[in-house]
Amino acid sequence: MASVVDIESKFHFSREMLAGPIYRKYEKAIRKIWSVEDLDFEQDARDWQRITPEQRSGLLGVTIRFLAGEQAVTDELVPMLAAAHALRRFDWTMFLSTFLMEEAKHAEFFMRWHENVVGILDPDEVGPHFLVRGKTVDPTGRFEVRDVLHEALPYYGGRLLEASTGGTEVEIERAFVQFSAAYNSFVEGVLTMPSYEIVIDTTAQWDAFPTLNQGFKLILMDEGRHITFGTEACRILIEKDPSYEALVHEIFDAYRGNVVGLVEYQKAVPGLDLGKYQTMKVRHYRNRCREMGITPDETLVEQILDPTIDFVVGVEAG
Amino acid sequence: MAVRWSCVEAGCDWSVEAAEADAIVPLVQSHIAEVHSSFELEDMIEAVLEDVPDRDEGGERG
Repeated sequence: MASVVDIESKFHFSREMLAGPIYRKYEKAIRKIWSVEDLDFEQDARDWQRITPEQRSGLLGVTIRFLAGEQAVTDELVPMLAAAHALRRFDWTMFLSTFLMEEAKHAEFFMRWHENVVGILDPDEVGPHFLVRGKTVDPTGRFEVRDVLHEALPYYGGRLLEASTGGTEVEIERAFVQFSAAYNSFVEGVLTMPSYEIVIDTTAQWDAFPTLNQGFKLILMDEGRHITFGTEACRILIEKDPSYEALVHEIFDAYRGNVVGLVEYQKAVPGLDLGKYQTMKVRHYRNRCREMGITPDETLVEQILDPTIDFVVGVEAG
Repeated sequence: MAVRWSCVEAGCDWSVEAAEADAIVPLVQSHIAEVHSSFELEDMIEAVLEDVPDRDEGGERG
């Protein structure tokens, strides 16, 4: 006969979770669901026909990066789900179910936009427009610009999955903070924020691509929840063990080169005020730190604002 | 308790207080749009709100 403890272990929800901030995000995600099917790509397709080859090349440099990026982040969410289960945080699992669906939907948006507007979708069609990271160079040699999305996320995701399936609670928590710092705080919360604005500003400046503009705003609404889920989860774990703060700084330090300058796809669209996109990273970095309850690394802030740090970018596509 | 949001854009010390989160979000978004030609997401604003004692009148600082 099963004991009371055995039976109670089959239930994972509590009033504390119901009243908590992560469950609030789950409720909001459900209320805010939108569908790519409801978007009309016809005007964007007409706009594509009227812009110049230089404008086409610049815009594709950014949108193709998003097409690859949204697929990558969708694929990399399983370790977080495994960790939420291992840490017995059912409210996190519930929110992450919306997170995973939304990342897949963002990938769908970019698949549909490129197929319906540009007429490219298969890997051999979109691949030639992907701007190669090796073309971004710091002329002083101080900073290395790495591919954090395709390097750090699989690496730290693998470590989190390994910890979640056989590690101690502390090992899972440490791996979660590292993965979330890389994924939610660094990639989504700082590095990519200027890229959203670059596309939204481009559509406004060119008075074109209304559905690309609309899609980016809908995606951003979801990303605001994703990023603040990650930072809230880190805040909870760092409050529990303040030594975890150092793990966040280690991640930002390892990929410092990616945020102290603008990388190739962020410089691809002609005619934009690039200084704004560089400066705004300070606000996003400081806010991610505020959300996690940690102290910003002021040397990183100084380097982001240092006008002498400016990468040379060869924008040839791969 | 009221809530306060402080801008951390480089070189900006603007802050705003309001009776509740719903009221402060549009004020922050207007500041970011008008002063910094940028945007700030609702969830990110709500995530860094500080509780402050109620005042007779809220408003902008900085």
